[in-house]
Amino acid sequence: MADATILENNLTDLSWLIAARKVSALEALEAVLGRVRALDDKLNAFITLCEDEARADAKRADQEIAAGNYRGPLHGIPVSIKDLFETAGVLTTGGSKIFKDWRPERDSALAEKLRAAGAVIFGKTNLDEFGHGGTSTLSHYGPVHNPWNLERIAGGSSGGSAAAVAARIGPLSYGTETGSSVRRPASYCGVVGFKPTFGIISRHGSFRGAWSQDHAGVFARTVKDIALALDPVAGYDARDPASVQQSAPAYAERLNENVKGLRVGVLRKFLDGVDPAVREAFLAALKVFTDAGCKIVDIDVPELSYAAMTSALTSSAESAGINRIWFRQHAHDYVPHVARGIAVGMAITASEYLTAQRARHRIREAVKAAYENLEIIAAPTTARVAPPLANGVQGNGDDSRHVSYNQSNLLRFPSMLGLPGCSLPIGLNPDGLPIGMQLIGASFADQTVLNAAAAFQSATDWHNRKPALVG
Amino acid sequence: MNDQDELAHRLTLLQGVEFSPADLEAIGHEIVDNLRVVAELEEFAKDTAWISHQAQPAGKRA
Repeated sequence: MADATILENNLTDLSWLIAARKVSALEALEAVLGRVRALDDKLNAFITLCEDEARADAKRADQEIAAGNYRGPLHGIPVSIKDLFETAGVLTTGGSKIFKDWRPERDSALAEKLRAAGAVIFGKTNLDEFGHGGTSTLSHYGPVHNPWNLERIAGGSSGGSAAAVAARIGPLSYGTETGSSVRRPASYCGVVGFKPTFGIISRHGSFRGAWSQDHAGVFARTVKDIALALDPVAGYDARDPASVQQSAPAYAERLNENVKGLRVGVLRKFLDGVDPAVREAFLAALKVFTDAGCKIVDIDVPELSYAAMTSALTSSAESAGINRIWFRQHAHDYVPHVARGIAVGMAITASEYLTAQRARHRIREAVKAAYENLEIIAAPTTARVAPPLANGVQGNGDDSRHVSYNQSNLLRFPSMLGLPGCSLPIGLNPDGLPIGMQLIGASFADQTVLNAAAAFQSATDWHNRKPALVG
Repeated sequence: MNDQDELAHRLTLLQGVEFSPADLEAIGHEIVDNLRVVAELEEFAKDTAWISHQAQPAGKRA
């Protein structure tokens, strides 16, 4: 099978082809590495490739599958992970100059689980330094470019992962989210990005952005792929204090596109400042849910107008706590904007941080009450499409630290409250740039979120659109 | 404490890490903005219970 044909397969299809031995894991890997060579000079989505290790893993996977020892849907699949996750013997930088030569002795929990599932980890994706940013322009290794328009940002901080999946450099990639770092880049790059409930995926062996908001998440082209990619990496891990005791993950098996009767909450007041093309696409997406038998419920949660500022103060203080020792020793090795942000965080006092936690609690209670009358909150993921790269860190113009019905509140509250959230493509603007919608569930309603997202994809084909860059 | 003294006090929390004058000005603006954010959050959260976590007896939900 030709490389281009292999790369067109999503995870579900490629997994079937590899299990049926119609495509070998090594063929799939070589196709992916060829695409990296062809495109990554333009995208800068990767910091490190581990070609030799990946080839050995792919050959092993092929031998195991040939011997009848098939491990499951990720067996032999080429996978990339954000360079926040430790990989034994493989460069792990966090996007920082400080760790430019660091090769950890151990794997992160995520890498462990992926290897146990037979996945072939071929590369580490680019990001904002230590996850501190929403643009993927704040990497020591240069900015990530959006595959839909190379002069646009990919979003961050998991921009390399989102760009890789959009460019068909492998069918899935794993990232992290502290504020919006899975959902935002997924929206900007026209792919599906899912972050589960806080504690579903272990964060052991990864750099921290802000411990009370950090999540691992996954990017793919379809919701079914997300579920397949989530099952092998979810599960309790005593090494992560936030890890959740849970039954054996079976998100893929339980995926159900019948969402008749589902109550979808819409926060209309937050739509006022949204770009007209984004708003139009979102309203059309709501119609898809109505046609599927869902009930659209207008809601107002005024407390959410404080979400972005509460989340920002929390993550700023926590990131200062995490970085303070490195910062004192290496302040001038940080990306300058990140260094300034950590300095601001160090000036937050303990009582101010606790004030933010009190505000967070009030918002949590208000959102919990809202979910007593609905299952899902739907909103545009971002108010605008991917901004120009030339605007740098100022590009995410919908970010706000004021009490307001600004869309950035809806972007930040799911991570602050640990709720499951999925961004999925719902259209293109007149310039051909992707528009995303996010679906947010109550704590541990991950399956409901995935079901709703899958129902949307079963009725639409936005997820099959691809950037001109990949032909 | 006036605003200048407050800012000077906050900058001592950087524990000796040096920045250029331009960086210090940017950091100062952010610190002042955080003071405004905290004041708004204090008002917003003033009637909210202080957060504490207690383990619950077996079989009881937290």
